[in-house]
Amino acid sequence: MGIRFDLFFLSIAVLCAPCLSDLVLSKVDRRIDLTSQIARFTSTLKVENIGSDPVSEVLLPFPDHQAKNLAYLAATTNEGKGKTKGFTTTLPVEVVHPKGMPPALTWYSVSLPKGLGQGESLTLDVLAVFTHALRPFPEKIPQDQPQRVAFQDSAYYLSPYVVKVQLLSVKLPPGTKLESHTKLEKTEVSGSEIKYGPYENLPSFSYSPIVVHFENNQPFAVAQELVREIEISHWGNVQVTEHYNLIHGGSQLMGEFSRLEYQARPQIRGASAFRHLVAKLPPRAHSVYYRDEIGNISTSHLWGDSRKTQLEIEPRYPMFGGWKTAFTIGYGLPLKDFLFQSEGKRILNISFGSPIKDLVIDCLIVKVVLPEGSKDVSGSVPFPVKQWHETKFSHLDMVGRPVVVLEKMNVVQEHNQQFQVYYKFNNLSLLREPLMLISGFFFLFIACIVYMHADLTISKSSASYMAKLQWDEVQTAIQQVQRIINRCLTIHDKLEATLRDLSRTGDMQACKAARKAADGLLKELSKELKPLLAFLHSCPQAAQILPKVEELVAKERELQEKLMVKHSTVVDSYEKKSGGREIENRIASIQQKLTALRQEVEDLLEVIDEI
Amino acid sequence: AKSAKSISSPVPDAWYPTLAVFMLTIGLVVTASFFIYEATSLRKNRCLAKELTTGAVASVFLGFGSLFLLLASGVYV
Repeated sequence: MGIRFDLFFLSIAVLCAPCLSDLVLSKVDRRIDLTSQIARFTSTLKVENIGSDPVSEVLLPFPDHQAKNLAYLAATTNEGKGKTKGFTTTLPVEVVHPKGMPPALTWYSVSLPKGLGQGESLTLDVLAVFTHALRPFPEKIPQDQPQRVAFQDSAYYLSPYVVKVQLLSVKLPPGTKLESHTKLEKTEVSGSEIKYGPYENLPSFSYSPIVVHFENNQPFAVAQELVREIEISHWGNVQVTEHYNLIHGGSQLMGEFSRLEYQARPQIRGASAFRHLVAKLPPRAHSVYYRDEIGNISTSHLWGDSRKTQLEIEPRYPMFGGWKTAFTIGYGLPLKDFLFQSEGKRILNISFGSPIKDLVIDCLIVKVVLPEGSKDVSGSVPFPVKQWHETKFSHLDMVGRPVVVLEKMNVVQEHNQQFQVYYKFNNLSLLREPLMLISGFFFLFIACIVYMHADLTISKSSASYMAKLQWDEVQTAIQQVQRIINRCLTIHDKLEATLRDLSRTGDMQACKAARKAADGLLKELSKELKPLLAFLHSCPQAAQILPKVEELVAKERELQEKLMVKHSTVVDSYEKKSGGREIENRIASIQQKLTALRQEVEDLLEVIDEI
Repeated sequence: AKSAKSISSPVPDAWYPTLAVFMLTIGLVVTASFFIYEATSLRKNRCLAKELTTGAVASVFLGFGSLFLLLASGVYV
């Protein structure tokens, strides 16, 4: 096995390794957490500077076969002495390639903020997260066997510095069986923990391989590919769509799957399978959906409070080793929780990784889709990722929306930190969408107008076309006649109104003035009427309607005359200062005729209208 | 951290359905008046300015109304 060869090589290299004599690790306390599918190494190093120069970096090596599974590495230090927990600062960690070191090692360097002076000591907490470090052994199991995994590491801490005292404690899932483990001196097993140590005064680059073979039935959910699409809409919504391609990364299922046995005793017949996945979404998430290629998957539960929204999903079948499933989760978030404005730029602040707990992602692609019209787009992520730009065409788009694509391999839950996308957006660009809709509708109206105005007849001299033109002219003339008659009627109404005013206020002058004005207007209107009537006479098509029009005009004239008579009578009576009762008696007959005529005129107007 | 102000929509979310209904109603009423004018007026009496203004007002209201309808139904364009 390649791993054994590397270890052999390493042990040879130990003999001819240089020794960095500036720093000494006075106490190393290592805790390896194997309770889930991810191996988390927490090392507390007490670094002491015994050299004469201040040291500004601490080197951390990892064997190559381990380093290719390294997903996350962080170093923190506690300020404050003794038991007081001071302010924890995260230190920058970089990949370095120092010369003259044994081969097959990957080196990381932790930069100390202020150099470690002579004789000073510092406590460093290093967290290293490894994926696929637990190898299923046996690789294929039948349905009723529990899953067993093998874990390899070194009992001694691999370091270029001399280590004075070191301890190692390996924590296994509670209540599980430990199949076998390497027994070195000072090994003890207590419950679900294996303790190696304390070992004292070991030279640098000491390495002693250990193997722990134990049962681990925790869900081994591995997402081979996860595409997270985050779409921003300035109208108030952030839509997140996640496409998952899950596989069960543990021991593969050998033989057949018996549903009957699984449902009868799931703990025994299917201990290695998992059914549920829990996702922690941000608070105030709405419109959550869970579907796949077939359609909606209804086996899910959602409940939320003010700090988170919890979604528990159950795929269509339990996941056994080697089985795959693919689904999509989508949800909407309110914009004001995630988009901020500062110094002329807009900042989107949202989490990077997947909301599903304890999921290992082999390849994570995060696409942030910004609205049309966004400029100067750039993303800033707290750990190294691959970044590039794309364009996406979505609703009501003309040039497409800018997309920032971030890709990272080997992602674990520790990567679920907030990242930022900066861009500039002019608020007026928000009007682009309604303007597009408005111009669309306006185009329809223009098309309608053009259609009505355009003359689409093929032959301009045919008899039916001429007849239609003539009829149009007749109709125009009649409409104008109607309009004139209506205006006459309004003038009549005004005159009657002045008569009523007279009976209230007794103002003679106003009445007479109104009468004069009315007379003038009526004369003008009758002048306008003459050419129209002449035209109608000349038109053969108007033969039917002409008698009615003439009747209308005649009646209107009669009405006019009678109204004038009434008006004069009333005015005279007022001048003679006769009583109200007398006036009424005099105009009674006229009034009757007036109302009758008025009615006839209006009826005629209606009839003409219908034609 | 620098003073970062959170950004939200220029029109409050809760108003979207109401605005959609009102704007679409007014837009459809103006559209109706446009078509009535087109149908009843005769070729000689038509006034292009009146047609264009009615069409423009109708399309503004219909445009905004359909935008708010899309937003209210969850298609955040």
